[in-house]
Amino acid sequence: MSANVRARRPPSPIPSQPPRSQRFPTLTHSRSDADERRTLASKGYIPGRKPHPSGGVYVTSAEWKLLILITLIAVGIRLFRLSQPNSVVFDEVHFGKFASKYIKSQYFVDVHPPLAKLLITLAGFVFGYDGNFDFKDIGKVYERVPYIAMRLVPAILGVATVPLSYLTLRALDCRATTSVLAALFITFENGLITQSRHILLDSPLIFFTALTVFFWVGFCNEDKQQPFSDHWWLWLTLTGLSLGAVVSCKWVGLFTIATVGFSTVYQLWLLLGDMRVSARLFFRHFMARALCLILVPALFYMFMFWIHFAILSGSGDGDGFMSSEFQHTLRGRGMADTYADVAIGSVVTIRHVNTQGGYLHSHPHNYPTGSQQQQVTLYPHRDSNNDWRILNATTDGSEPQDWATLPLTYVAPGMRIKLRHAATDKALHSHDFRPPVSDVDFQNEVSAYGVPGYSGDMNDDWIFEIYEGSKKDPQSKRRLRTLRTHFRLRHALTGCYLFSHKVKLPDWAYEQQEVTCNKNAVLANSLWYVETADNVLLPPDAAKVNYRRPGFLSKFLELQQVMWTTNAGLTDRHTFDSRPDAWPRLRRGINFWVKDHKQIYLLGNPMVWWLSTAAVFSYIVVRGLLILRAKRGCKDFENTKVVKYDTLCGFLFLGWSLHYFPFFLMSRQLFLHHYFPALYFAILLSCGVFDLVTSTLRPRIRLQIAAVLVIIAIWNFIYLSPLAYGLPWTKAKCQNARWLKTWDFSCNDFYDSVSYDQYKGIDYTPQPSQIVPTPHGRGAVVVEGPVPIVSVDPNTLGKAEPGHDVFAENPHPDVKSDPAVEPVQYDPVVSDVKEISSVIEPSSSPGVESSSSQSAVESASGDSEAGTTSESSSQVEETTIAATLGVPQEDEAEAEKVRQELFPDGRR
Amino acid sequence: MSGVQDVRQRNKGKGINRDASGPSSAVDYDDHNVAYLPSRSYIESFLNTEEASAAVVAILTIIAFFTRFYKINHPDQVVFDEVHFGKFASYYIRREYYFDVHPPLAKLLFGLAGWFVGYDGHFDFENIGDSYTENHVPYVGLRALPAILGSLTVPIVYAIMKECGYSTIIAAFSAIIILFDNAHVAQSRLILLDATLIFFLSLTMYSYVRFKKLRYQEFSPQWWGWLLATGTFMACTWASKVNGILTVVAVGVAVLIDLWDILDYKKGHSMQYFWKHFIARAAGLIALPLVIYLSVFWVHLAILSNTGPGDAFMSPSFQETLRGNELLMKSHEIRYYDTVTIKHKDTQVYLHSHPERYPLKYDDGRISSQGQQVTGYGHEDSNNQWQIIPTKALPETGRGRIVRHEDVIQLLHVNTGTVLMTHDVASPLMATNEEFTTWPKDDHSRYNDTLFHLRLSDAAPGEAWKSKSGHFRLIHVPTKVAMWSHPTQLPDWAFKQQEINGNKNANEKGAVWYVNEIVDSQDPDLKAKLEEVEMKEPKRLNFFKKFGELQLLMLQHNAGLTASHPYASGPINWPFLLSGISFWTQNEGQKQIYLIGNIIGWWASVGGICIYIGILGADLLARRRGLEPIPDDVRNRLWNSTGFFIIVWAVHYFPFYLMSRQLFIHHYLPSHVASALVAGSVLSFVLSETINTPVSAWGPSVKPRPTTYADHGVKAPVMVAVFAIAMFSLYLFISPLTYGTPGLTGEQVNARRLLSSWTLHFAAKESGNI
Repeated sequence: MSANVRARRPPSPIPSQPPRSQRFPTLTHSRSDADERRTLASKGYIPGRKPHPSGGVYVTSAEWKLLILITLIAVGIRLFRLSQPNSVVFDEVHFGKFASKYIKSQYFVDVHPPLAKLLITLAGFVFGYDGNFDFKDIGKVYERVPYIAMRLVPAILGVATVPLSYLTLRALDCRATTSVLAALFITFENGLITQSRHILLDSPLIFFTALTVFFWVGFCNEDKQQPFSDHWWLWLTLTGLSLGAVVSCKWVGLFTIATVGFSTVYQLWLLLGDMRVSARLFFRHFMARALCLILVPALFYMFMFWIHFAILSGSGDGDGFMSSEFQHTLRGRGMADTYADVAIGSVVTIRHVNTQGGYLHSHPHNYPTGSQQQQVTLYPHRDSNNDWRILNATTDGSEPQDWATLPLTYVAPGMRIKLRHAATDKALHSHDFRPPVSDVDFQNEVSAYGVPGYSGDMNDDWIFEIYEGSKKDPQSKRRLRTLRTHFRLRHALTGCYLFSHKVKLPDWAYEQQEVTCNKNAVLANSLWYVETADNVLLPPDAAKVNYRRPGFLSKFLELQQVMWTTNAGLTDRHTFDSRPDAWPRLRRGINFWVKDHKQIYLLGNPMVWWLSTAAVFSYIVVRGLLILRAKRGCKDFENTKVVKYDTLCGFLFLGWSLHYFPFFLMSRQLFLHHYFPALYFAILLSCGVFDLVTSTLRPRIRLQIAAVLVIIAIWNFIYLSPLAYGLPWTKAKCQNARWLKTWDFSCNDFYDSVSYDQYKGIDYTPQPSQIVPTPHGRGAVVVEGPVPIVSVDPNTLGKAEPGHDVFAENPHPDVKSDPAVEPVQYDPVVSDVKEISSVIEPSSSPGVESSSSQSAVESASGDSEAGTTSESSSQVEETTIAATLGVPQEDEAEAEKVRQELFPDGRR
Repeated sequence: MSGVQDVRQRNKGKGINRDASGPSSAVDYDDHNVAYLPSRSYIESFLNTEEASAAVVAILTIIAFFTRFYKINHPDQVVFDEVHFGKFASYYIRREYYFDVHPPLAKLLFGLAGWFVGYDGHFDFENIGDSYTENHVPYVGLRALPAILGSLTVPIVYAIMKECGYSTIIAAFSAIIILFDNAHVAQSRLILLDATLIFFLSLTMYSYVRFKKLRYQEFSPQWWGWLLATGTFMACTWASKVNGILTVVAVGVAVLIDLWDILDYKKGHSMQYFWKHFIARAAGLIALPLVIYLSVFWVHLAILSNTGPGDAFMSPSFQETLRGNELLMKSHEIRYYDTVTIKHKDTQVYLHSHPERYPLKYDDGRISSQGQQVTGYGHEDSNNQWQIIPTKALPETGRGRIVRHEDVIQLLHVNTGTVLMTHDVASPLMATNEEFTTWPKDDHSRYNDTLFHLRLSDAAPGEAWKSKSGHFRLIHVPTKVAMWSHPTQLPDWAFKQQEINGNKNANEKGAVWYVNEIVDSQDPDLKAKLEEVEMKEPKRLNFFKKFGELQLLMLQHNAGLTASHPYASGPINWPFLLSGISFWTQNEGQKQIYLIGNIIGWWASVGGICIYIGILGADLLARRRGLEPIPDDVRNRLWNSTGFFIIVWAVHYFPFYLMSRQLFIHHYLPSHVASALVAGSVLSFVLSETINTPVSAWGPSVKPRPTTYADHGVKAPVMVAVFAIAMFSLYLFISPLTYGTPGLTGEQVNARRLLSSWTLHFAAKESGNI
């Protein structure tokens, strides 16, 4: 201890607070920092309980001033040139778009809960955004969008994280110097800066994580003093609310809940072991925590979705993900009432129950495989090709159209029926061919077959079986009732069930969903219901039905399920994705934006980042050693210092590991920014370690060490700041800044020198070779000299995290099924092509084996030694190609232009 | 065993007293024994005599053999995975190299069994349902091996329980769960690996229990013997099937816990003592198993010395060690101006080009270069021929004309007289990859775009390029993309041939090619060589290199088994027996084999685990509040003995949740054995709070404690008997599905579908016809 060397006021008791007892002479140490307390202790003033009731923090007025100063610095760092770039950056593509949709109340689905998006929308709304900008591509210049206001939301929350980190460490009983160090580390963390300057969700997430940690630490302090006081309840409730907010920003917030949860369980475990706590008191503790840490967050989370649904009342491009009942609640997607009864002769649309594939559908295109009869698919949109007429099949051989004259016969279980496609007049048919995709023994192909006037064969017959009806409509169990009856259709001859599953057909069926007849049908996937029914025989005043409107809770649960399945399904690769093991090493960043020879690249402050990782690992090593030593009988844990820092660092380490390790279990696409909540804990932990290491030093030296660390951090920050802010930079500086080979920002985008002439004047005019040169092709591949770099290709560079893309466009892209789209002008040509191709392709054996057809062509060209046959065949092919394309004049011209650009040296 | 005192004392004199409860100075404690004995019911004492125990185990074993061997010749057809494992046995007998994801021990044993019964390995086990009798395969001999091992598992399970100090009736209970389990029976009667795996697993557990019981006689010869036995059997488990590695983990966890206890300061051991223990275990449980595991592979590789269907998986240098391998026979150095055909390694298509051109505009609106198509084509054709053109000056003759690693070459398409080229235009199917096309050879305007770097895999600088064995990547010089292909067909305009494009990630998997054949050469020597076919001696390769390569491939392929299978099921279904596997069906007579367990036994086991967790949880909470509801001895038994079973169960079960490969219910069978043990010990706890103690052998340094005996009274035998009868009845009821005979009518099948999730064949339609 260096206490005796120090020149400082004698630690005499403060006169205003006379000692209360002889054994514990003073309580004034609460005013002093850790050093003074230790000094006091060495003089016999034993640390007792803190006198101040607030468990949260005790901050002196001088510290408040310091804190304000740091916050101001953070404001400067976070808000500096917030308006630049004035174009869309990375995932602003999505979150900006979502704000537009909130403002226009168009329903959308996203993998993240709504809170952060709502905040951004609020900012946009207040500043008069009308929702008319499409946020289509990264780099698109903003027009009439208050994007600065929208960016301010994450930026301000990012600023607020800085004082929170200070207060949290103070509440954890660290020294002011340590806390300042943490606050400055967070202020100058390039990654956090970059992330908080754009319309992204992570900055709110980190803020609420930090807020939760602060409240929780405050609560724990309070809990040690005086449980069930007003303050205690306040801190606990605030923790609960803030937990709700975290998880309402992103589901990653569940990890914060886990952190607090673990901590709570540990507290309760200790309480349980404390025999002074009666069972009743323990139960009160338990219930209070359950109420505030489970119920409050859950209600908060649901409330956010309530707001979400309230705002998104109109139909939008997220409809397709929701059930029909859900869609019915959206403005513009409602369905008119339809007849409740279905009889022979009714025209019906039939929907699949278990998938969102849609309606049983057929269109005048044939299967290229199997029977080569007309396709039957599931199609998600309303369309006249979804209409089927129910006919009676029991009257074998008699006229099929006699339904109009016969009395009304309701469709009842066991009835043998045919389904006739209204538009093409072909019957739903199944036979012993394998389906095109699910090519297995127990699946039969389903097709539409028949010619007008022909009553069809036995393979058109289906037995109608009711699976379940609605409880509220007892009729629906006895006969087919629209919307209420779930039924199966059994093929009369083969006994298989009409079936569909989430398998898409190839391009030739426009990626619609496959329909088969399955002998081992999974029950859920073989259930169908009638959505609309029309029958001329029914009087206009016959009973009608419609979808029941789902309540909030069922809508909420349905949306959770959709979000979950989609989130788990995001397994595509992205050019800048990374795996969790790379994050603590800061192996690679994310390219956010490249334009006008400037670049925004998400990369952390290497010094802060690596220091925090080192702290985490040193904690693991030291803690492991301590455990081993304890096992061998060393009494380390009787030392108060060890206990204090073990508790402090242990809590932060728990937070870090719970925010980090679960990512290893996720097979979905992951990005560097998923590490930020864990990084926050790691930075606090590194400062905790600093506090421990410097605990025996004199305050001045400690301050000096902290200053050196901060200066290095600032130097790092400045060195890499052009990437964080998208500032002008030079190629040479950029090359120098590439400390790791794996940092793949593309230096070639920068000019050789920052002469402002070069950067001036060209602002936001399209660049010749940087941006995609042609509307359809790709830009030049930049090959960097010696560095074996991952491709830097503008097309993939400027790509947002594609997770959200799943919802971005219509989920079921469909070209055809609209009968009007049926290309009239192509018709003769198309049929020509078909003839030619049928000449080329021998009517191949069943199975997709393309090789059989191609070998026919190939052997022809091969055998004749590249002679006449191949040439003639190539000619045929050329004409076919031209014919198929049927390119209109302007297309041709455009293509010619493109070709000129691609091959300036000329070709042809 | 520990039952009657005078038996014990007699044994003691003979020096074979390894028995658990044998106090070294039993006489001193006779008082205690006498004090306890009167409270024991007669039946309990009787059952725990050695004679009764031997009788019980004998009966169980006989029944086990009967159940496993009953109609083992039926069906005389290939069933389920016999397709694989039967085939592998044939390969061992024919000594042809094959590749499989599982380590070889169990398959070696099949080969041995086949050899023993005189099978010559002629049959290929191509399809499920192929007849054995028609093809004269001595399949009963092959099936007898797992049946024997499966039968022996039952007495071993009994012995484990017995050694852990449970009474005869409890041990019989655990053994019965395995004995009458339809899943174990079905799995043991066929040529499958699991019976071997489970056999060795139970032996490992048995040896470990024996080892652990000698913990007070550390470093005695018996202690060493059981330690080494544990290591040996553990290695055999591991070498039988790839999930045997979990057994290694389970034993590892148990050993770590054990060592952690030894490390405890309160035990008063020195660090030196700890290290001694540590090194002993490292030797017995790490070094020895490794040696055994390696030697199994050594035998495997030594036997499979001829070329076979597994060649293609291996690297060229490995393949050249196999007698008669194509690479060995036909690999030649390639010279400039040779005409070759080039094949894609993964998809086996030829690099192909034909005069047709890319369409101007694709369906998605992108524009092509309209250059000549370059595609992958699966069949031999003269359009697959390419000539290698040098980009440097060549000597007239000699070895200077050989193409080498890192050379820059051009490839000339012989039929059209154009050279291969790629450029910065998006490929037809992937906008991110470059289009491959060709360019007239006389037009030098785009010369640079036709240059390719030849990069051989694992090659030393200047290594010669060889046909067949020289796997290479072709890197485009200006844009650094690699020639790459993937199994996606181009549309009709390219005759549905496979797409070839330039991938920017040159290390991507699909970028490896090899020269299939040298069609024509200017070099007269080579031309002559191409004609003649000589028998070459296989090359030699270091065993460890071969082993390393094989091990790596096994892991990769195991992880790659992700295709869906109609009978695959997730781990959550397993303990509850929600789904089975259809092994075999025969329409004639409506016979089928459906792998499904005995639902009573399985649910009893799961129930046991749940009760165990409940008991321990309640005990922990109660202790926290200062109550001690369970006596210390009983509690220790629950923690240590049942805890070991739980570790084995959990380690063999939970890792499957992390695996994304195809999973089947038979992966749960090792865990099921462990859960049967848990069920037995939980039953013991539920019936009575008395236990046999102590079970560990006394050591010189340990103060002996009084002996106590478990007493379950009359209710235990009655309960177990009722349970056994119930198990047996259900076993009989389901047995037509297990043995594949007799056939069942639709209604009978419906009756046997105890859970709606079982997908049996030949079920009668539930919804009646009209």
